Amino acid sequence: MGNQQSQPPNANKNQKKDDKEPKKKWEPPLPTRVGKKKMRKGPDASSKLPAVFPTTRCRLKMLKMERIKDYLLMEEEFVVNQERLKPQEEKTQEERSKVDDLRGTPMSVGTLEEIIDDDHAIISTSNGPEYYVSILSFVDKDLLEPGCSILLHHKTMSVIGVLQDDADPMVSVMKLEKAPTESYADIGGLEQQIQEIKEAVELPLTHPELYEDMGVKPPKGVILYGVPGTGKTLLAKAVANQTSATFLRVVGSELIQKYLGDGPKLVRELFRVAEENAPSIVFIDEIDAIGTKRYDSNSGGEREIQRTLLELLNQLDGFDSRGDVKVIMATNQIESLDPALIRPGRIDRKIEFPMPDVKTKRRIFNIHTGRMQLADDVDLEEFVMSKDELSGADIKAVCTEAGLLALRERRMKVKADDFKKAKEKVLYRKNEGTPEGLYL
Amino acid sequence: MVERKEVAIPVPAADNTPMEEDKPVKKTPKDLKDAPIKDELSEEDQELKSQLEMLIERLKESDTKLYNPTLETLKTLILTSTSSMTSVPKPLKFLRPLYPDMVTIHESWVESADKKFLADILSILAMTYDDDKLDTLKYRKAGSQNPIGSWGHEYVRHLSTEIGLEYDNRQETDADTEDLVTLALEVAQFFVAHNAEADAVDLLMQLDIMPKLVPFVDKNSYKRVCLYILSCVNYLESPDDTIALHTAHDIYLKHGKYPEALLVAMRMSDKTLRQNIFDSCEDPLLKKQLAFMLARQQLSVETEDEDLQNCINNTHLTTHFINLARELDLMEPKTPEDIYKSHLEHKRSAAVQVDSARQNLASTFVNAFVNAGFGVDKLMLSEEDDGGWIFKNKDHGMLSASASLGMILLWDVDMGLNQIDKYLYSDDENIRAGALLAVGIVNSGVRNIADPALAVLSEHLEDTKSINNRVAAIQGLGIAYAGSAREELSELLLPIVSNTDNAMELSSFAALALGQIFVGTCDGDITSTILQTMLERADGQLGETFSRFMGLGLGLLHLGTRGQSDVTLETLKAIEHPIGKKTSVIVEICAHAGSGDVLHIQRMLHYCNDHFDAESGTDDEFQAFAVIGIALIALGEDIGAEMALRSFTHLMHYGEPVIRKAVPLAIGLLCASNPVLSVLDTLGKYSHDTDIEVALNSIFALGMVGAGTNNARVAQMLRHLASYYHKDASCLFVVRIAQGLLHMGKGTLTINPHNTDRQIMSPVALAGLLTTLFAFTDVKTLILGRHHYLLYSLVTAMYPRFLITLNEELENEAVTVRVGQAVDVVGQAGRPKTITGFQTHTTPVLLAYSERAELSTEEYLAQAPVLEGFVLLKKNPDYVEETKA
Repeated sequence: MGNQQSQPPNANKNQKKDDKEPKKKWEPPLPTRVGKKKMRKGPDASSKLPAVFPTTRCRLKMLKMERIKDYLLMEEEFVVNQERLKPQEEKTQEERSKVDDLRGTPMSVGTLEEIIDDDHAIISTSNGPEYYVSILSFVDKDLLEPGCSILLHHKTMSVIGVLQDDADPMVSVMKLEKAPTESYADIGGLEQQIQEIKEAVELPLTHPELYEDMGVKPPKGVILYGVPGTGKTLLAKAVANQTSATFLRVVGSELIQKYLGDGPKLVRELFRVAEENAPSIVFIDEIDAIGTKRYDSNSGGEREIQRTLLELLNQLDGFDSRGDVKVIMATNQIESLDPALIRPGRIDRKIEFPMPDVKTKRRIFNIHTGRMQLADDVDLEEFVMSKDELSGADIKAVCTEAGLLALRERRMKVKADDFKKAKEKVLYRKNEGTPEGLYL
Repeated sequence: MVERKEVAIPVPAADNTPMEEDKPVKKTPKDLKDAPIKDELSEEDQELKSQLEMLIERLKESDTKLYNPTLETLKTLILTSTSSMTSVPKPLKFLRPLYPDMVTIHESWVESADKKFLADILSILAMTYDDDKLDTLKYRKAGSQNPIGSWGHEYVRHLSTEIGLEYDNRQETDADTEDLVTLALEVAQFFVAHNAEADAVDLLMQLDIMPKLVPFVDKNSYKRVCLYILSCVNYLESPDDTIALHTAHDIYLKHGKYPEALLVAMRMSDKTLRQNIFDSCEDPLLKKQLAFMLARQQLSVETEDEDLQNCINNTHLTTHFINLARELDLMEPKTPEDIYKSHLEHKRSAAVQVDSARQNLASTFVNAFVNAGFGVDKLMLSEEDDGGWIFKNKDHGMLSASASLGMILLWDVDMGLNQIDKYLYSDDENIRAGALLAVGIVNSGVRNIADPALAVLSEHLEDTKSINNRVAAIQGLGIAYAGSAREELSELLLPIVSNTDNAMELSSFAALALGQIFVGTCDGDITSTILQTMLERADGQLGETFSRFMGLGLGLLHLGTRGQSDVTLETLKAIEHPIGKKTSVIVEICAHAGSGDVLHIQRMLHYCNDHFDAESGTDDEFQAFAVIGIALIALGEDIGAEMALRSFTHLMHYGEPVIRKAVPLAIGLLCASNPVLSVLDTLGKYSHDTDIEVALNSIFALGMVGAGTNNARVAQMLRHLASYYHKDASCLFVVRIAQGLLHMGKGTLTINPHNTDRQIMSPVALAGLLTTLFAFTDVKTLILGRHHYLLYSLVTAMYPRFLITLNEELENEAVTVRVGQAVDVVGQAGRPKTITGFQTHTTPVLLAYSERAELSTEEYLAQAPVLEGFVLLKKNPDYVEETKA
């Protein structure tokens, strides 16, 4: 009807036509389903197994699971029988070669620009022009999305396949392939902390039904804080060592990127990968790199960091539910963090790591000296009971230093003397720079 | 560090799986021997440990006076220790190494109160001993029988597991289980009182003493208990499920919940129970609600009250349906072209469509389905060209055309018979036959005291001149009285079945009609007559395509009766003709319809295993029925239905043509009126199959899946198919019919055999669906041939998917309701929401498959447990209107 005004003579004619066929209303076309890459969780929809409710531990759940198992056994039996009676290998081979024929060789690679309807799209090739082409029916439409790389027929340029790209390589680096060797046994003390982190992170992933029984939602994440060297990262490593969930680790500073928008994008990618590989645990070390309180800033870099923080806030408790993704953060300076970041709902548990007390110190000494050759005159109690502020890391440093001193003198055993020297050295280094007794 | 390994005790939480698996240290340094063990423990722990050791030592001494205080201390220590989910309470941890000692102490003592006390403590300690000795149970029985909850919830759970295990052990040796039962009841009582209904039900179910649950359940817990029991029923073995249903029924009755109890009784298809519930209900309003619920299932109970009888007879159905249509502004009749929307199809050629007879026939069906029940349309009843449309159809087409009148005037008996009457005296034989069928269709689902259908149709049963008329009359009776099980009808129809001089067509349809009327009754006379006929008929006649309906008739008689069909199956083995095999498959699948029985599905898959060559001449049609059977058996149980869909992909992949063409039909049955995207995709793929019969059936299945939903995606797919098959008249015909089904009742009807929140399967609806599907197993001769009128069998499955709220005088009462996707809330803690993503509407509203409604205000109380169909409302006496601020 838009052209009515510009072409008044035609208006009447149009009117007449409308009269004749008053029924022909325009109907909006259905939105196409291609081009929206589905959230891929596990296997394909056709081979997916039905979800089982309730999730609590009960006989009904068992019965349902057994039912699924029965069906799967029947399927297996049927397929095995059929393969025996009527092997399909040749047929598949034949079909495959047919598809290959349709694809033709050579093929070229292009980019999908826009999807017009279920079987047409606009594509562009590397050498310039854009084409309106058809999508062949055997192409997996679920994989198509604007901007993805596609295989093209060399003459007709029709879409004959999709080249799947993997997730952002930056993110895949974060995935922990090899579990760290530190386990809970390597942590001295911190029993309270271990228990809290287990309840908040591990238990919801392994035994979600316990929370359901109680009717509460499990915590989404925890923040570990405390002065340096008290074992925050160590605990995170122990969690990674213990869990079979995907463990993604990232340092806060990694999320700061050179280009505008790259940081938030990385955060998004990180959580997308986490969700795809759910259940998973995301560990963000040194969160204060991006999580400091927001303030008015003119520096572009500063603002970008704050935007990254905003994205992180959204990912932690935004509109979309994240499913089985737990977040662990670690920082030295919890008081400098943005209050929005650590509010309940985003980070439900704040776990403090205090300086070790005597008991814990003894444990830590035992852990670190456990594999050392000690002379008989070494009395660890002396160090344990001393009043100096020693953190877990300090104790480790003392032990290592003592070992090194013994090594220097080519001794096979570490003597008490080594320990004393080592301690002095470590404490001296620690207090370096802070003038002693200035404020006394 | 060494003893760390020892303390890795399985946590007594949940399922006794170790949660805390502290890894043992890889290397134990030899020099570290001097490092004292106690270093591992904090001072308080050490103190506790020595205290405990001291207490145990004291028990070893001979001073019996000290025993009691010692045990008291032990008990307090255990009780007061707080534990977390991730670790073991400390006293238990430290007592564990001392456990064997304590056992010996216990054995050495003489029988006394203290010994029992010690047994109590041993009982809880045994929880940490994860071996198969079942000590918790042993010492519980030896103990002082203090209240079971005194050791806390975790202990009771552990005990219940051990009871279950012990029971299984004893079952093997046939030992007495009386003591276990007593204990189990105590445990169950504790569970019910502490929000662990599922555990209580599980325990009693395992011990096969479900009915004993009834007294424990109070008014706070009965809902959750029953919901849990009822969700379990689908997955239980044969005798257990009936026991479970009976238990749920008893619990409901105990709490005066007659509607819920009635639903359970209907699930059991137990006639006396239904009558009992109906009779014992005193409240007149509630009784009306019960009547409506029975009417939905087309079941009847005896009652004197005329009002109630009217409700049961569905007399009001048509007025309410028309009201709904007015309310939703749907009264304007639609022409087939409104449905086709051919202007949206891609026209390949400019050729104008010829006004072919087949297209007109398709339009007839579309018109019938789309305007079903509204009583107005633009082809058949319009005033300008009276009856003109009928003559646009040819021969047998006219039969379907005049029968379509019945569809349009569905449920409106008085008006319908007036309109149809004139065609009954038409000169044309086909029109007369159609009118007879129409009479049957109009009466479908409603009962009239005057029995007009029986009066009109019985006259034509003996019409010697026209076999068409007789078939139509028989069909009409079958449709009109489906599920009524009336004796006089069997007297009328049985002779037609047994008379071997009659054409096979006639006998088969009579058998089918009897099956529909006596669905699920296992009537002995009819069964034996049909079997006898199969034995007596000549082989050639049995080979006719109609014989499948004779088999179906027999099958429908046994619909949902499970084991009761065994005798019939045995007899069928005696029939050498392939029909014997075919019919036994049909009877088997019908008998287990909706049971979800995996063993029978497995048998069906075995039937489908074989491949028959075309040369060998074996009749492989039973495989098609087996495929439909998989859907039929899996029907009504979500997990099975989804898994069955998976099996179908395998069948499609490996199967012979006969199996492949049945697969889409089975999918259609499984997802009737429930357009799930993945299913639509699958059917869309099959509808372009090179095997034309597969394509035809897939197109029809698309129609079934979308039936009555107006689903836009299905509509688009069908339009696409219409242009794809624009040259193929038969495919186009089926596409049109599918389009008609899609817009059935302008989107107000459903053909899903399940209703009342998908709990109850209607055998009558299933009978209608099966008849249609069976017609499609030989689509070329039946549907595309002369017997397209079999499509009208769907009518018994058609019912409005409305929610109508009525007040005490049975007048419409508009209230606001929330409609949303149903959520499975079984076994969830607290008061979880039952619907999600809801919208608020004012009644009457339409409910799609898997949608649920709930009243949005508390102004009224609904009498029905499930808001679906007709719901009676009562003013809430406690309702206080919210004061507007």
